Amino acid sequence: MQICMEDKDGIVVCRLRSDVDINSSPDVRNYFERLTRDKKEKILIDFKDVDYVDSSGLATFVEIFKNMRTYGGKLKLMNLSNKVRGLFEITKLDKLFEIAAQEADALSSF
Amino acid sequence: MAGADIEDRKVVAEVKGLVKDFGGRTVLSGIDLKVREGETFVIMGGSGCGKSTLLRHMIGNLKPSSGRVYLLGTDITDFEGAELDDVRKKIGMSFQSSALFDSMTVGENVSLPLREHTKLEKSVINIMVTMKLELVGLRGFEDLMPSEISGGMKKRVGIARAIAMDPKIVFYDEPTAGLDPIMAAVIDKLILDLSRKLSITSIVVTHDMKSVLGIGDRIAMLYEGSVLEVGTAEEIKNSQNATVQQFINGSFDGPISFFQSKADYLEQLTK
Amino acid sequence: MRNPIALMGAALLGSFRHVSGVLALLRSAVTLSIVGIVKKTPSSRHSISQQLVFAGVQSVVIVCFLAFFTGIVIAMQSARQLQQMGTVIYVAAMVSISMARELGPVFTAIVVAGRVGSAIAAELGTMKVSEQIEALETLAIDPVKFLVVPRFLALLIMLPCLTIFADAMGIVGGFIVGVFNLGLDPYRYIRVSFEFLVWKDVWTGIVKSLCFAAAIGMISCYVGLNTRGGAEGVGKSTTLSVVASFIAIIIIDCILTGIFFFSQM
Repeated sequence: MQICMEDKDGIVVCRLRSDVDINSSPDVRNYFERLTRDKKEKILIDFKDVDYVDSSGLATFVEIFKNMRTYGGKLKLMNLSNKVRGLFEITKLDKLFEIAAQEADALSSF
Repeated sequence: MAGADIEDRKVVAEVKGLVKDFGGRTVLSGIDLKVREGETFVIMGGSGCGKSTLLRHMIGNLKPSSGRVYLLGTDITDFEGAELDDVRKKIGMSFQSSALFDSMTVGENVSLPLREHTKLEKSVINIMVTMKLELVGLRGFEDLMPSEISGGMKKRVGIARAIAMDPKIVFYDEPTAGLDPIMAAVIDKLILDLSRKLSITSIVVTHDMKSVLGIGDRIAMLYEGSVLEVGTAEEIKNSQNATVQQFINGSFDGPISFFQSKADYLEQLTK
Repeated sequence: MRNPIALMGAALLGSFRHVSGVLALLRSAVTLSIVGIVKKTPSSRHSISQQLVFAGVQSVVIVCFLAFFTGIVIAMQSARQLQQMGTVIYVAAMVSISMARELGPVFTAIVVAGRVGSAIAAELGTMKVSEQIEALETLAIDPVKFLVVPRFLALLIMLPCLTIFADAMGIVGGFIVGVFNLGLDPYRYIRVSFEFLVWKDVWTGIVKSLCFAAAIGMISCYVGLNTRGGAEGVGKSTTLSVVASFIAIIIIDCILTGIFFFSQM
């Protein structure tokens, strides 16, 4: 799993480059565990290149959210395709995460 | 889902000319079926018509005497061991008797395939189990043993376990058998919800007419080891076939006969 | 009524088929055990420890009880004969050698076959008739790896340990008869016990118990996994596992005793 990271005024923007499924979600977890261990306060995940997130992926994002909440960090998601958004909605996770439509909105809302 | 656009979808499960002999008796005699992506396909028929046997062929647990079985585009007829296991990881199965492992808690039952087949961390697996149990309406029951919950709950845990690995196809063997009408309706709704929301293909074997007509996008009627008719719920309801009509209406009189002739009976008594 | 010879022939052929089934299961259990140990599969570790407790720890009391009284009985039985020859002190050697070579391993195996083997056959049999075995296969989990291997390894580890306990308790039983009933000097009794007991007596006993462990484990798992026909089938399997294990134990005991103590004479 390839993830591109950039820092925009203290906000860590992580762009996922492929689907998050049972094979790739352990990598995603390890990647974000490093960020949450460093107590990154603001993380924004870009789903632009993601077609599909399976339940292991959803669970991984819930865990990242849980870890960040322990130190008061903020996690936001953006650029979810309708299909991926639907997957979040079925499991009622759209109520847990802050999901932004565009990068500008997401960055300014932190 | 309308009948017309189903024809354009990808075939995810297919049975071609399947014949099964058990010790000289032909249980299935030349079955041809195609199940397309995302549909809820119901195989209905009376007890002993071979519908559960057909289901077991479709998941590779039984091998046909002749004919081929395709799952997700691969011919699994001759698959054994690791090859078959790779296909099985992409499908789910809900058993008639639920078949929960009774030495494990509800949560452990659901998490077992994840623990065995993935490198996911325990914390992630726990979150997944909670999500799966929420889908079947049993969140909070993780730590109970199967012996401590009701039959309908067991069925739902079995379904949660079947969808643990996000399968493309879920097979249901008599999902509503032995349940009260309300619980049967709950299970039917659950099967439909999972099909619609998670776009899982469902293949359901049942003799419960209410769920046949309630959940089936397409229905196949199986009788004495052959497929009598395949069609949408409307088509099956309006079928000209007397056997199909007898089965739908649950009537005593018809081509399906359950009694031997009287003469034979008297003959045996006076022998 | 069919020809009795034909019936016997059919039964014999049937049992050959089952013996080859048990051996095939043994082969795959050994292969999977080695693979599991090399790869350190984490999932089976928990179930192995569960099985170790059930097969081993919970059998200690009954095994010790049985061995203790066996020791007493051998001492009493042999005392009369040896008294006539004026060599009553050899009761000590008699007890220690017969416990280590023969009675310790065999009695322990019989207790474990009755207590653990039957439980394995009943548990796997119930899982078979309630579709749980098929459910495992459908979840792409090999029942041999998941169910048979932990039970097999637990028996292989625990039966020799239990045998050592049994040997010791038998000697204690004999000691009590020798000292309190026959009036032998306790120090001399212990010295004679171990003077005649050679290493070979102990290790052949352990080798026997390893073979018994494999036989009990494989027979009860095989019988359990091949159960048919509801509650009645489970009952039949449980009985069959115990009977077949007893037969296997005696046959193996006979063969190994022949190899260890008879062939080089």
